[in-house]
Amino acid sequence: MHIQELAVLRQNGSLLTTHWNSDLPHISCHFTTKYSNTGKIFACKHLNQHEGLFTRFVLQGIRDWKIISSAAPGLKFRALSSSSSSSPPSAENTESPETLSRYSDRPWEYLESEEYIERYGAKPVWANYRRNHKGGVPPQQTRKTCIRGDKICGNPCPICRDPNIIVHYKNVNLLQQFISPQTGIVHDPTRTGVCMKQQKLLNKAIETARDCGLLAVQLPHVDYSKEDYSNTHGAVAPTPAPVSLRSGELWYSWYGSIKPDERELARVKRIYKDYLKPDV
Amino acid sequence: MAAFSFTKYFLRSYFCFKCVDHVQTRLQTTTRMFCVSASRSSFQDAPKAQFTDTEVQDLLTRITGLDLQKVFRPIRQQLTPPKYKLMTDTELEEAVCKAEEQAKHLLKMPPVLPERKPVNDVLSEDQMLEGMDTAKYVFTDINFNVPHRERFIVVREPSGTLRKATWNERDRLIQVYFPKEGRKITPPPIFKEENLRVVFEQDRHEDVLNQCIVQFEPDSAEFKNVLMLTYEDIEKHGKYDLLRSTRFFGGLAWHLVNGRRVDGLLVDMLQRDLMQDAVRLVRLFNLVHPQSESAQQAQRQQATDLDLLKIYAQYESNRAGFIELAVQTYEQTKAMSSF
Repeated sequence: MHIQELAVLRQNGSLLTTHWNSDLPHISCHFTTKYSNTGKIFACKHLNQHEGLFTRFVLQGIRDWKIISSAAPGLKFRALSSSSSSSPPSAENTESPETLSRYSDRPWEYLESEEYIERYGAKPVWANYRRNHKGGVPPQQTRKTCIRGDKICGNPCPICRDPNIIVHYKNVNLLQQFISPQTGIVHDPTRTGVCMKQQKLLNKAIETARDCGLLAVQLPHVDYSKEDYSNTHGAVAPTPAPVSLRSGELWYSWYGSIKPDERELARVKRIYKDYLKPDV
Repeated sequence: MAAFSFTKYFLRSYFCFKCVDHVQTRLQTTTRMFCVSASRSSFQDAPKAQFTDTEVQDLLTRITGLDLQKVFRPIRQQLTPPKYKLMTDTELEEAVCKAEEQAKHLLKMPPVLPERKPVNDVLSEDQMLEGMDTAKYVFTDINFNVPHRERFIVVREPSGTLRKATWNERDRLIQVYFPKEGRKITPPPIFKEENLRVVFEQDRHEDVLNQCIVQFEPDSAEFKNVLMLTYEDIEKHGKYDLLRSTRFFGGLAWHLVNGRRVDGLLVDMLQRDLMQDAVRLVRLFNLVHPQSESAQQAQRQQATDLDLLKIYAQYESNRAGFIELAVQTYEQTKAMSSF
C-alpha cells in the first residue's frame, strides 16, 4: 500500500480530491478514518474492488475534522452502477446526499414517483427488510445508527438505505407507514427494523405532524358537568374593597361579648401601671 | 326593580288607610300599571332565550340527532379481543337503550359562556423589592382539594408589585402542576391560520374542535375564536353534515341562529328531508329573536309545524322560494302516502 494521491480539505469545508485516480471505476467504496495522536494527520483507507488504496488526508486541524464529519454524515456510498442516472459525478461526492436527493425540498413527492412504486409497490417501506442477527430472538434494540461519518453499515435500515426517503413532518404518507392503523401507536423499531437514530427522528416528526393537525390524534372526552364557570371567587375576580367601620362598630364581632377576668385585669394594670395612659 | 319597590311603597301606604274599598281600587290600579309596564319592558329588553334554557337545550339536542353508527364508530385505541354475546330480543333492546344513553352522555354540548373578564388586581406594591431580580416569581397554591377556579396564583414582578396572575398564566401553571390529558402547556400550532386552512380542506372540522375543547377553557378568547372560525368555514362550504350527531352541532346551530344566518342550515335540512329538524330550528330562531317578524307572526297565528316554516320563509328568509317548494312537496308526498 502506498500513498497515491493527496486530498486537501479546504477551509470552507469542501474536500478537494484533485489527484484522484479516475481510471479506477468506483464500484464499491469503503471509507474508514482513523484519528491519530497529533490530531492533524488523518489516515483514510480507500478500498477499491480491485486493490486497496491508501490515501492520506492532510487536514488543517481538529476544527476541520469536525467539518468533515458534519459534511459527510450521510455519505451514502452504496452500490452505484456507472450507468445509473442517479449516480452523482465524483465532484459531487463532497456534498452530503441529503442535498443530493432530488426530493430534499419536497420529500412527499417521492412517494408518488414511479421509482418508489416500482421499488415498494403498495407495501410499507419496511415490509421487505430483514434484520441480520444471531439466534432466533433479535436484540430488543436495533442498531444505534446505520451511518457513522462516511461509513454506511452492511444491511442498512429501510430509511437509511434509500436516500430519497426523508423523515419530515409534512411527509404524512411516509409517517403513516410507521403507525399502526388500528391502534394509532408508533411501531416498535424491532418490528420495522429502523435504526435508533432514525426512530428518534420519526418520533419527533410524528409528534410535530400531530401537533400541526396533519395526523389524526385520539383525544379523551371532556366532561363539563362538574366545573363551575361563574368566576366569582376572589382568586379570579377583583378583590372586594375592605369593609369600612361605621362609628362604634367593632372590627371583630366578639370583641364586646367576651369580658376579661377582673382579677387578671387588675393584676396586669398594676404591672404596667407606668405605661398606661392616665385615663385607663 | 324600580317598579317593584314602587308597588311595595304603595302597598305600605295602603295599609295605613284602613279603608278596604280604597285599598282594593288602589291595589288594582297599581297592579295593572305594574303588569302593563312589565310587558312593555319585556318587548324592549327581549327576554332572549339563553343557551342554558331547558327548551333551547331540548331543541338543540333534538336537532343534533343520534346516529349510533357515527357516535360509536371505531376509534384508534388499544385493541382487545372481541366479545360475543348471545342475546334475546329484549336483551338486545336493553343494550341498544344503554348505548343510546351512553351516546347522549357523549353528545353533551360544550357550554357557551360569555368571555371571561381579564384579571387586573394588584395586591401590593413594594418599592423596596424593586430590582431584586430580573425574573418574575409566580406563587401557586397547589392544594389538591381546591377547584382550579378558586386557586390563588400571584406573580411578583421585578418592580416589586404583587399581582394576581392573568388568565393565560393561570391556565399554563395549572397545566404544569395538575396536567390534564391531551392538553399542552403552549397551544399547539394546529390553531394557527394556515394549519387550520389545511385541516378544513381535509374536512376534519371535528378533530379541530376536539383539540380545541381539550386545550382551551370554554370561556377563553382562543376557544371562542377557533369555534367561530370553524363554524364560519362550515357555513361557507355548507358542510353541516360533518358535525351532525356530534357534540358540536348544538353550538353550530346556536352560533348561526344568533347571527341570523339560518338559511344555509335550513336548506340543508330540507334537502335531507329532515322536516321536524327544520321546524325545530325555526322555533329556536323565534325563541332567540322574539321581536323579529316571523316570531311575532307566529305568536299571533299560534302556528305550528309547517306553518312556522312558511311564515319564516315569507318574512325572514333569503331563500324563500326553495323553502316553500320543499314544504309543498313534503305536504304532497304526505297526502299521497296517506291515500
